[in-house]
Amino acid sequence: MEIEKDLADIAVAYGSSRGASYVEARVVASRNENYAARNGVLLGGGISFSRGIAIRVLANGSMGFCSTPNLTKVGVVDGVDKALKLAKVSQRKNPIRFSEEQIVQTKWKSPVKNKFEDVSIEEKQNFLIDLDKILKQEFQPKLPTRTLLLDLYSDQKYIVTNEGSKVESENSIISTHTFNTAKGKAGGEQRMSSLGGTGGWEWIEEKNVVNQILENNRGLVKAAQHAIEKPFSKIDVIISGEVAGIIAHENVGHPSEADRILGREGAQAGESFYLDLLQNENLGEIKIGTEQVTIIDDPTRPGNSGFYLYDDECIKARPRYLIKKGMLNELFLNREYASILNTKSNAAARAISYKREPIIRMANTFFAPGNFTFEELLNDVKKGIYMKSFTEWNIDDRRFQSKYVGLEAYLIDNGEITETMIRRPVLESTTFGLLSSVDGVSKDFYSPHGDCGKGDPMQGAPVWLGGPHVRLRDIKLGGELNNRL
Amino acid sequence: MIDNSKIWYKDNLELFLAKEGKTTYFEIEAPTQEKIKTRIKNASKFLDFLPKNVLYNGIESNQHDYKSPVEFFDKKILKFSDKAPELVNVAIQESLEHGASKVAGVLYFGHSETNLLTSYGNEGSYLGSSYRFTIRSFVGPESSGQGLACGRDLTGVENSLINAGTSAGEIAKMAVGGTQGTPGRYDLIMSPTVAANVLGQLFDGLNPLKILIYMSPLKYEHIGKQIASKEFSVSDDALLNEGLGSRPFDVEGTPKGKTPIFSKGILERLLQNTSTSIMDKVENTGNSIFFDFGVGTKFLAPGPSNIVVEGGDYALEEIIAESKKPTIYITSNWYTRFTNIRGGVFSTIPRDGMFLIENGEIQKPIRKLRLSDNILRICSNIDAIGKDVNQIYWWEVPTPTFIPTIKVKDCVLTAATQ
Repeated sequence: MEIEKDLADIAVAYGSSRGASYVEARVVASRNENYAARNGVLLGGGISFSRGIAIRVLANGSMGFCSTPNLTKVGVVDGVDKALKLAKVSQRKNPIRFSEEQIVQTKWKSPVKNKFEDVSIEEKQNFLIDLDKILKQEFQPKLPTRTLLLDLYSDQKYIVTNEGSKVESENSIISTHTFNTAKGKAGGEQRMSSLGGTGGWEWIEEKNVVNQILENNRGLVKAAQHAIEKPFSKIDVIISGEVAGIIAHENVGHPSEADRILGREGAQAGESFYLDLLQNENLGEIKIGTEQVTIIDDPTRPGNSGFYLYDDECIKARPRYLIKKGMLNELFLNREYASILNTKSNAAARAISYKREPIIRMANTFFAPGNFTFEELLNDVKKGIYMKSFTEWNIDDRRFQSKYVGLEAYLIDNGEITETMIRRPVLESTTFGLLSSVDGVSKDFYSPHGDCGKGDPMQGAPVWLGGPHVRLRDIKLGGELNNRL
Repeated sequence: MIDNSKIWYKDNLELFLAKEGKTTYFEIEAPTQEKIKTRIKNASKFLDFLPKNVLYNGIESNQHDYKSPVEFFDKKILKFSDKAPELVNVAIQESLEHGASKVAGVLYFGHSETNLLTSYGNEGSYLGSSYRFTIRSFVGPESSGQGLACGRDLTGVENSLINAGTSAGEIAKMAVGGTQGTPGRYDLIMSPTVAANVLGQLFDGLNPLKILIYMSPLKYEHIGKQIASKEFSVSDDALLNEGLGSRPFDVEGTPKGKTPIFSKGILERLLQNTSTSIMDKVENTGNSIFFDFGVGTKFLAPGPSNIVVEGGDYALEEIIAESKKPTIYITSNWYTRFTNIRGGVFSTIPRDGMFLIENGEIQKPIRKLRLSDNILRICSNIDAIGKDVNQIYWWEVPTPTFIPTIKVKDCVLTAATQ
């Protein structure tokens, strides 16, 4: 079904005629199909459609935004008037400017073989029911509650600006979410885990999703059954791509967001410790980790959950090298913040629906793979912990002090992963503490799916957060005070 | 200086359909008769492919008249957009004058009309107005304070915003010179903002569906038992004039009033809707909402309206003065996550002003500690409840919660190891 490109064009022309220096109209039509099952019984399912237009204007140096599902000429013109009125009453002293960027007229789409709507409802339901049967068969009675969700999202989008850019896109994202509880001697363990990517229904088979979920739950059940508390002094820790990914996202991705550094998110997601670092030194001059640390965010990597080729300000996407060989290298920028920093946007503007404005977001943030094999990383560890997955995590709002609690974690002894599992090892460290302890990165790569929250009202953006195995030296684990809570 | 002003128009029809024990939920934006007919026809076909929903036991079938004794709508909201930028600038200025050097925040306001119609003939409608304001003030990069204001009645909104700005500026100023806190066990004073977030993890778990899937620290065996200190009494009250979760009826048409939840520390009951009350063989509390897990489809399940924690006898100053042991006062927090929800093991990060109290006095601002504890243990260790009941509703507190300052004994505070 065609989306209302003509109305977006009308919005832009009308906004310009009313004196806006910048007008951007974005029509989005999306379809969301979901199913949920608990212990093999379908709890529910539904298909929802969303369709509307977002209008953003700059007038008198201030920004105004209006969204409406009223896709008529009257509705769109009214939306432009409202956005203009809001901009004009803002009484801003320093005018907002956008960076000068290349004008583009293009189309992109994520590759899809089997569209969600072409797959029968029974097949989609049966995926969850059969998955539960497999989990039940292997783990019963050790996995007493299993909650499985399937989320199938697709959209069509058209963005036009009064500068002449026009970008049409079609995107399709599939994700599974599991929340399972395993019984254990010390009360059990729980794991919330998401897998996802861009693509159609074929993703389930191509990515061997059932086996990935099965493997995740093997770890959960083993941890609940066998993990023991063990105190350590300083110890080497090898983290999996899953743990490396959350560190890349939380400790490096978020503080690299320019709007956060410059205070726009101050009352919600907070600011950034980069603000201190950038007071006296410039990007490229600040050492934040060892030479082994390179962290990239690449929206263009095929199949990632945050995939796009042009952002929601019509800027061509490219990999962003946030940290290069341990040095702070690049920030996430949209046009507003690129202008403030006198540079170009690197296409970080994303909006999760027509109801939201585009703001600076991550897409697919990861530790860049290194030269080691996983075995080589292990061989050089005399006494250590292999943290394969995590449960609880959080980080302060300047993104400096983080905590990651291991779930599936094994003792490493003389270069070998042993059968001894360690209960809930706690990596409670500063960003410097983590990144300056990295001495080896493997060649492999693994990335789970995540929903990254930011903005007010909240915008949960689909992302990947991953990487290879990473070796951290001489880590002092936390958690001594609350192991028995 | 205002960064951005936004306006959203929302015209949504939320539809819950049940057919032979099968259920589905969907929304129609900008509904027209044609759209509604087509979508219901498609949803009906979709239902044919679904199995029966084993947790569905029906919706409200008794007929009701909904007469709310209180108003949720203040017509001043209709012209508030003309005044709002000036009020925001006044609040910012107030915060700067009380010590802040930089201020960020959001004022969000709106009005709504909600109409209900069910196949059992229940029909009702109500108007609502609302505002919520978050302001965060900074002195340098690491000293900050937060102020909140929210409600439905705009009488005195200017003062509410000014007070929030003042409070944020004063806390930020008090936080200047903060040093790394020492990890350990402390008594803890939680401001209403912190108490609403931390204890909110328990209130979210009052849903029988969450208990079934082990997504709640509560268990059925807790009902009727003393699981919190005797000072702790909590209700769910949907008929509060200022409550942002107020409503005369729930989404399936059950009239909604006040429901006692905890009485003197005893968990009296869970929140219920028709389906769960039949499942649990208890009274329906009229708490049906369209619930989701943060992703995916919505269900009919119980959820809170406004949570109200009964105020105690103490002023904040008295609670501080009575704190002879080393005690930490936390004014705001964020990022609360569980290692194990069923077991109650969690941590959360204080942000903004945090202060060490010794011998009944605030000794110094401190920083960079994390509350790493157990929610059930915290409930049973409540030591004092303030009389400063405030409505809290912001980014980290999605359920409107009327709650005072709460002091808890013997909590674990941790810090980064390197």
